[in-house]
Amino acid sequence: MATVEERVKAVTARVLKVDPDEIKPEHSFTVDLGAESVQSVELVAMFEEEFGIEMDEDAALSVETVGNAVEFITEVCAEQGIDIEQ
Amino acid sequence: MRLILVDSPDEVRGNFYPLALSRPLWELRCGFNSLEEKLIGKVGAGNVAYFVPDYMAAAYRAKVDCPVNDTSVLEGDDLFIVDPRIKADSFNVAGDGPSEVGLDEQGGVLYARVAKADLTELATEDIGKFMAAAKAKLPNVNSGLPTWQYIWDLVLANAEQITTDFATAGRNGVEGVVEQPSAIRGNKKDVYIAQGAKVHPMVVIDAEHGPIYIDEGVEVHPFSRIEGPCYIGKDSVLLGAKCREGNSIGPACRVGGEVEESIIHGHSNKYHDGFLGHAYVGEWVNLGALTTNSDLKNDYSSVEVMLDGRRPINTGSTKVGSLIGDHVKTSIGTLLNTGSYVGAMALIMATGKPLPKFIPSFAWFLEGIVTKGFGKSKLYETAKVAMSRRGCQWTEVEQDMWNAVFEMTAPMRNKAIKKGRRAMLNR
Repeated sequence: MATVEERVKAVTARVLKVDPDEIKPEHSFTVDLGAESVQSVELVAMFEEEFGIEMDEDAALSVETVGNAVEFITEVCAEQGIDIEQ
Repeated sequence: MRLILVDSPDEVRGNFYPLALSRPLWELRCGFNSLEEKLIGKVGAGNVAYFVPDYMAAAYRAKVDCPVNDTSVLEGDDLFIVDPRIKADSFNVAGDGPSEVGLDEQGGVLYARVAKADLTELATEDIGKFMAAAKAKLPNVNSGLPTWQYIWDLVLANAEQITTDFATAGRNGVEGVVEQPSAIRGNKKDVYIAQGAKVHPMVVIDAEHGPIYIDEGVEVHPFSRIEGPCYIGKDSVLLGAKCREGNSIGPACRVGGEVEESIIHGHSNKYHDGFLGHAYVGEWVNLGALTTNSDLKNDYSSVEVMLDGRRPINTGSTKVGSLIGDHVKTSIGTLLNTGSYVGAMALIMATGKPLPKFIPSFAWFLEGIVTKGFGKSKLYETAKVAMSRRGCQWTEVEQDMWNAVFEMTAPMRNKAIKKGRRAMLNR
């Protein structure tokens, strides 16, 4: 199974149409990867689908970087009892 | 005599969604005013009490001065308990008199007139038990009273109701200002322009086919045309509007573009061009520029509406536009299909294509699909801002009510979100 980081990068690359190899943990979704507000909504939706979790919209949309998203999703998976590869 | 208005059970209230999600049925409007005002006018009661669904009781209590869901009102006076769906114009039952329970064709209670002397026979711990006891113990009559069945009934009756209400109001003439050159067509006795209303130059007020009532503080900007029957509520502004027949607008609305046979509740805006026809629009709605609804199908067949997102209901009418709940916001260029349902608090960002006919409450409709968007708290923030701009306040009890509506409407919204997710994954 791929790690959370690899899966987050894959989803981000698909939604924002960027090369997954160029995505770094410190990258901001908006400033560095060019996510517009509607794409942020799509990212949250696709992360939920990818990991089979439910995220609080306010908390999820306040996540700014790829690395923060990995941490946030890891926490949510733990809370909701979802098995993941760290 | 005490008039008590009792809201209907959920399965009946659903026929009046999305407007009834956030208000009791008697707050719905037709003609000049609400169903409550019509019933009170007919019955002549000065003493009123209400029973509303529990989730909206606190919010409604904060809005009105009369008792809400207070069972103590079921004692100490002659009572006239009325279903707000009764059409007031046909309600010719005296509020005072011997005890009597009026039934509809299915045996449901439409009114219960209970003499004080008979109250001791009836349970008073809750309104449901009280009504059941009244039906069981007091004389029943088949009332034959007509009732409002669906939300679109009010829209379809609006033009006629305006004409009736104009006659009831018994006012005509110009008490406000009509700047020249403007034209009043038809019989001037069919026009009333209230004190404080201001009609700018280059306005046509056409009462040839029905009366026009322009209430206090209304401002009608140049190049507006108002056709009767029409009611423009207090402090509303028409901005070069083509205001076709059969509209009830306001109070405090701002309306431009073309509007026909529609009811628009207070504090809603349709500032720009775009057509709205045979529509019912709630409070605090903002329709973006060029928002347009269809109210007639290309094949002239009866319009069907999905009130619950699943089951289409044949309205029996070839003309039904959109049903738009409170606090809905539409983007520029939104195209609403014939007989569309737009749930309360929904936010629509149009794609240029006609929208699905059912948009659930609290939905964020983005890029052609229903999403969770930025969540309900962002919608509440927007509602707060919109209300504060008009000097109104978003309250905690109101938020509690909306939270309940959010939960009530979750099943249909979640289903639509799942469908949206599938579409997103297949892009």
